[in-house]
Amino acid sequence: MSDTLTKAPPQAPTRPWAKIIGTAVLLVVLVLLPVLVGSHVAYLKLAQYVLIGAVGGIGLTLIVGQAGQLSLAHPFFLLLGAVSYAVLAGDPAETPDLVSLHWPPMLAVIGAVIICGLVGLAFAPVAGRVRGIYLGVASLSLVFLGLWLGQSLGILTGGTGSGRPPPTFSLFGFPFSNTTPAPTIAGVAIQKQQRLWYLFLAFAVLAYVLARGAVRGRIGRAWRAVRDNEAAAAAMGVSVARIKAGAFTISSAYAGLAGVMTALWLDLVKPDENEFTGNYSLTVSIAFLAIVIIGGLGSVPGAVVGAMVVYGLQQFFLLGANEFGWFAGAQFGGLSAVILAAFIYGLAVVLVVLFEPGGAAAIGRRLAASLSRKEQR
Amino acid sequence: MIRGRSKAIAAGALALVLAACGSTADTGAGATGAGGIKTDKGVTDTTISLGIMGDTSGVFKNLGAAINAGNQLWVDDVNAKGGICNRQLKLEVVDHGYKADTAKTLYPQLEPKVLGIVQLLGSPVLAALKQNLIDDNMTAAPASWSSQILNNPNIMMIGTTYDLEIVNGMAYLQQQGLIKDGDTVGHIYIDGEYGGNGLLGSKYYAGVHKLNVKEAKITSTDNDLTNIVTGFKGDGVKAIVLTTTPGQSASALAANQALALNVPVLGNNPTFDPALLKTPAAGALGNLYVAASSAPFSSETPKAAEIAAAYKAKYPGSPLNGGVDVGYVEGLVWQSVLTKACENKDLSRAGVQTALKSLNSVKTDDLVAELDYSSPGSPPTRGVYIAKVDAKAEGGLTEVAPLFTAPDVAGYKAPFQK
Repeated sequence: MSDTLTKAPPQAPTRPWAKIIGTAVLLVVLVLLPVLVGSHVAYLKLAQYVLIGAVGGIGLTLIVGQAGQLSLAHPFFLLLGAVSYAVLAGDPAETPDLVSLHWPPMLAVIGAVIICGLVGLAFAPVAGRVRGIYLGVASLSLVFLGLWLGQSLGILTGGTGSGRPPPTFSLFGFPFSNTTPAPTIAGVAIQKQQRLWYLFLAFAVLAYVLARGAVRGRIGRAWRAVRDNEAAAAAMGVSVARIKAGAFTISSAYAGLAGVMTALWLDLVKPDENEFTGNYSLTVSIAFLAIVIIGGLGSVPGAVVGAMVVYGLQQFFLLGANEFGWFAGAQFGGLSAVILAAFIYGLAVVLVVLFEPGGAAAIGRRLAASLSRKEQR
Repeated sequence: MIRGRSKAIAAGALALVLAACGSTADTGAGATGAGGIKTDKGVTDTTISLGIMGDTSGVFKNLGAAINAGNQLWVDDVNAKGGICNRQLKLEVVDHGYKADTAKTLYPQLEPKVLGIVQLLGSPVLAALKQNLIDDNMTAAPASWSSQILNNPNIMMIGTTYDLEIVNGMAYLQQQGLIKDGDTVGHIYIDGEYGGNGLLGSKYYAGVHKLNVKEAKITSTDNDLTNIVTGFKGDGVKAIVLTTTPGQSASALAANQALALNVPVLGNNPTFDPALLKTPAAGALGNLYVAASSAPFSSETPKAAEIAAAYKAKYPGSPLNGGVDVGYVEGLVWQSVLTKACENKDLSRAGVQTALKSLNSVKTDDLVAELDYSSPGSPPTRGVYIAKVDAKAEGGLTEVAPLFTAPDVAGYKAPFQK
């Protein structure tokens, strides 16, 4: 991974008011999103989906971009997180033939994230021995392992036939499902999808803040040192093996959280029927890699932008197609929303690699720099 | 600085939320429209809107497009005769590309606009939308025939399920003297809802007729089944049962011929695609019997012939397959349900459910066997069409036994049958 990435932004001499106001506006918009979309719940569902991509993408950008270790194992940890949550929080009364421990859901989420982190740590000896594309291939084996385990451990996963329902999330007795009466914000009922949005937003903000903290702190410097030159890092007193293992653990925990979110979003935990299509398949490995490349390797905000392109675009086009009649007449072949979105996402990857290897993050930095220069003039 | 900023933002956001908070009960009560008919979603005084969640861009795009066309032909026919309940029918079509996550996003957009779903294609999609259908009391006709989904009361199964297709098919083979009690039979199935359901059928039939079933589990992306068929040859199988994709069927059939095994092969409805007749395996397909709940494209059943003609006229050059019959018959069942709901003066979603459960003999001009929806959890019918591959027939299949119902099927208990 190259050295063009994640330079510290130039310190502005005064308080970056534009940035503060921008962040505040963004947060307010995100908090009020359920009100803004109103009855068009589909867009909220889409936004939730983007947050899943963002949380997983942040996890991957830390390990691939910051620590310089190529991992394609993300879908395995997604599956592990989803199944762990369902097993830990499952109600034996609802799923009598499956292992269900009936933990409180919040505890189950934490448990699922920890399990994923530990399994990631167990993979660390492999990660410590092989590098680059070889590590990528080695990590790919986990996706196949996940496929096989998902099919054979039906007592945990519910099997590929029907899967198992994930337990409804609840916090201090407040269920994240439809209730009557429902609280309202500005006249919009806060039902299951709105509640899930706030839950996902909280998860995503937490994931974002922790990742930014790690990148800016001591651990982030150690990651970058190991990425750029292991020998030099070791000479400076960085324990290379420990740092690599730690990066894998943290990245896996992020993927685990994204897995829990996937289960709640889909109302279903179901292992894939094959390795190429599905929610925990090779396609998802590639999608996450595309997220971090489009966003700019190592950039946390970039991963969020990447998630918007990769996870958001296709479904946005589809929603638009149905609402405004775009791409009508594509019944028997022709340009459909799915095909157009695939082109854009492929094109974005190619353009980024050719013209702006720093991805969306570099574009953003350049824009910010030119803005502040104008301000100073 | 950062901390102070976040605190201020959090406080601001909280204040906004609290200021706007309130509480309300859902006002989901129905209205009463023209003709004194109760309605809630998807029905106005002049139209009834139904949804299609199909696949015209994913792995089943040929079949999916034909099913959509079948739905549309049905709507055209109904509207030409004045509609249902003095209302014209309207379709809201969405394409999920056979992806559960896409369907999950598209569903909330479709849901408020429609009374029910005339076609919901794909078992992964169905699994992901199960809870949505229950929450919204949305009745949906699936283009997926596993009896494992019948624990969802909102699923309106059209025709026979995969397990019963296999039971009937094996009974047909035995009736033709191709297998006998005590024989060994091989069953290749895809691990998942589709394959697992087909396997239930062969296990049941084997139990009744003391057959020895050799199971071979594969994933839907395995391409070469030669080694499995070779193993079957060693086991001395007298027939092979397939619950696979069309490509996999071709591989198994080619191996069956190449190894000079040449036993009869029985497949579920989705095992055959007319496109196989243009592949190098075309010469080996002759041993395949397809047991399907709906009529093949070339069926001589008068209604099926009429639909085939209308399809070719309206969509020239489009792929010829049985999907159009599937789509049309989904419509016909919806027609019975809506007509009944209209008689009950209740075209709300709950009214549709009530009407559905009161129907115990829906006739579809023999496109599928007579349907009985009065016992939820049980497949609504148990008869199948048995067809044989025939390169000369349109759609590649010629029926050999129309609406065949084996005596053995009566004793079969589906997973959620009460």
